[in-house]
Amino acid sequence: MHEIRVGFGDILKKQLELAGENYELLNGHGVRAFNVMGAIGSGKTTLILRLAESLRRRGLRVGAVAGDVAGDEDFRRFREAGLPAANINTGDECHLDAHRVHHALEDLPLGELDVLFIENVGNLVCPADFPLGTEMDLVVISVTEGDDMVRKHPKIFAQTDVMVINKVDLAEVVGVDPQRLMADYRTVNPHGIAILTDAKNGRGIEELLSALGF
Amino acid sequence: MHEYSLALSLLESLRTRLAEDPVRGRVKKVHLRQGELLVLSRDALREAWALVTEGTELAGSELVIEMVPVRVKCPACGYGGDAKYLAAEGWHVRVPVLSCPRCGARVDIVEGRDLAVVALTVEEGVETG
Repeated sequence: MHEIRVGFGDILKKQLELAGENYELLNGHGVRAFNVMGAIGSGKTTLILRLAESLRRRGLRVGAVAGDVAGDEDFRRFREAGLPAANINTGDECHLDAHRVHHALEDLPLGELDVLFIENVGNLVCPADFPLGTEMDLVVISVTEGDDMVRKHPKIFAQTDVMVINKVDLAEVVGVDPQRLMADYRTVNPHGIAILTDAKNGRGIEELLSALGF
Repeated sequence: MHEYSLALSLLESLRTRLAEDPVRGRVKKVHLRQGELLVLSRDALREAWALVTEGTELAGSELVIEMVPVRVKCPACGYGGDAKYLAAEGWHVRVPVLSCPRCGARVDIVEGRDLAVVALTVEEGVETG
């Protein structure tokens, strides 16, 4: 037996290149885009709707991409709120990738948008491996998932710009201390910003917008 | 969870490569490098590989995966080298921290996201196909 060096390269590199193209496309239209990753049922859609509400009051034009394995529930919520939106059903995949997002961008009036929220598939594992070409990456969890979420999924938290802990109004009821999540986050990601929100009642939304540079 | 689709991409690119530049003999091992920033499971990738290669010239080949430590560059102090890893107890996997080991500033990733084929081990005298 013998060994042959092949080195034909990185199979994930194509994803990085596509993400770069998305970034250029968005940037060319002056759109600031955000990849909203996070746990299933953590409140990503509600959070995006709240952020959009506030940004629109400031005169900014906001769009959204809904990413789910199947269905159009989130997409319809965005449309009902009056946001230009696109829906991505991944079928058998557990994450959005730059290629799928590129097609969604073709369906959106980018020239008429200032801000775009891309809601990733609810999952704290796979989306971390697939950059989309967004300006910032957020990870959303809620207190109802427990106070050990950062320890269970450290790599996604280590690489994300902002962590949102949602449903803080329920912290006491479920017996979870958000401070423990925040301490763990600081350990894996000393440069990340942690924000507490109760998206349903609009709490923490302005702080989050300021963390996103608005 | 995305191991199956990555195994498919891997198979596709490897077969394209082998069609352009055939090897003499049967491929026994496919050597991969996997960056430690990836969340990918090595076991799941090996299982997926066994499934997707079935009925192809790569059937029965083994994936040999070498983990590649994360390398970073610091825009603040110019440090270039290995990333800092979380050393505290109670963390169950090796977690790279994207903070400069020298000055503490946020670093840029140089290496650690890649999944690349670097070599093939080929058994001579047994034809592929």
